[in-house]
Amino acid sequence: MEPPKIWREKRERYLAVGIKCLDCENKSFPKSEFCTKCSSNNVKEYKLADTGKLLYFTQITQTAQEMIEYAPYIVGIVELDDTLKVTGQIVDCNLDEVKEGMSVRMVFRILARDGNEGLIRYGFKFAPS
Amino acid sequence: MKQNVYITGFSSTKFGEHYDKAASSLATKALLGSINDAEIKKESVQAAFFGSLVSGSNSQTSIGSTCIRECALQIPITRIEAGNASGAAAFQQAYSGILSGLYDCVAVVGVEKLSDYVIGGTIEKILGATIDYHWEFEMGATLASLYAILTKAHMKEFKTTLEQLAAVPVKNHKNGVKNPLAQFRREISLDRFLKAKRIADPIGRFDPATYCDGASSIILSSSKIIAENPDIKTKIPIVGLGHASDTLSLHHRDTLTSLQATKKAANQAFKMANINAKDINVAEVHDSYPIGEILAIEDIGFFPKGEGGKATEDGLTSPGSEISINPSGGLKARGDPFGATGIAQIVEIVKQMKGEAGERQTADFNYGLTQNVSGTGAMTYVTILAREEVGK
Repeated sequence: MEPPKIWREKRERYLAVGIKCLDCENKSFPKSEFCTKCSSNNVKEYKLADTGKLLYFTQITQTAQEMIEYAPYIVGIVELDDTLKVTGQIVDCNLDEVKEGMSVRMVFRILARDGNEGLIRYGFKFAPS
Repeated sequence: MKQNVYITGFSSTKFGEHYDKAASSLATKALLGSINDAEIKKESVQAAFFGSLVSGSNSQTSIGSTCIRECALQIPITRIEAGNASGAAAFQQAYSGILSGLYDCVAVVGVEKLSDYVIGGTIEKILGATIDYHWEFEMGATLASLYAILTKAHMKEFKTTLEQLAAVPVKNHKNGVKNPLAQFRREISLDRFLKAKRIADPIGRFDPATYCDGASSIILSSSKIIAENPDIKTKIPIVGLGHASDTLSLHHRDTLTSLQATKKAANQAFKMANINAKDINVAEVHDSYPIGEILAIEDIGFFPKGEGGKATEDGLTSPGSEISINPSGGLKARGDPFGATGIAQIVEIVKQMKGEAGERQTADFNYGLTQNVSGTGAMTYVTILAREEVGK
């Protein structure tokens, strides 16, 4: 894990902040200095909706070393109430409780640890709402 | 004279676990093999393009430099990285090098050395770099989990069944038995696929192609070389090329039941070759997961959308049918050394064209196609080869 990267992405990872274009109204995540639709640099920070619905999901049993301690875990694509879509883990429930179309809310969690004494990567996951 | 680009030599190492060989040794073996096959002096090769995803990234960036030193060559070298499609990407760059008039004879080498890495650790991280590393992989997704989502979307929309999906690797393993260069030359039963432990439901542990070692190389030559050397034994014209991209992350896409980059790349290649999907009788497509082959055969246009699973189950993609898909065994049975795969696909079509595919030979045909994909479809390359008589 690279400290500058974690620092650089802190507003996106910790606060779920993307951008909104003041010229064409397009909303986009992650952040960018330019609108991802019209390329205008007239953009401002935009806080993502913190609730949405789960479109697709799967349970992962085999993953990278830094996330293996959480396996098996569920990951899915969530469509937020503001229509933006993101990928995230589904937590605080069992696999048999997870259904496509279910309502979820954003929660703040540990995503990965760089060993016992290393950096911790925090970010958002989703729980049933 | 219309400028064409021809394949005039080819070679592949066996794919599998080469613990005793470095990436550069594999690349050297393939490159010298293709030069020998082309029956040219190695000094005739004016430049080399290397397609590789990771080989070289970890400890040695310039894989091409090591390889050409071993070949005792001093020529311009370029390494091309386009994720899992690095091989086909390097091929297109080499093609452009000839078509632009810059070169008359160029080598393309696809190479990867993956058996040094651990599955359930480093491999997942390498694959994480072929999807959106920051907003898919670091959020917990793996390449397999995203293919699981693509699989579920297709199952939901078109009632594609697990049996239909498993028919893809069952067929490809059956084909792989007949390919001496394949990593796995044995059949796997439908039941074994269906009962395997799930790594990302509905993806079972036998579903993904395996990450292995290997290298493939091709010599490309200009029309001038073909005209000057009437006795040249291999001259397969490249008649269609396509390359398109899509969003890196699945969550930014409008549809999950087709790969837009494949559709676009295939359309470009068909337009350039002035043919359509019906003219193709043999194709090597990117079956890194079973759904990959089903999406490929639908998006290229071999079968209507939603019918790829049933077509495979009904044997319509098996050898001897109107369109033989992955007669080499595909990524699944041949093995998937990322950068080498795109070149190995083209090598298989060349062998089929020359009637050198042995027991897996496709009968009379004029056109063959390859499709090489990166990640979950962020980049797709399509290549169409023709028999010399029809492709002039």
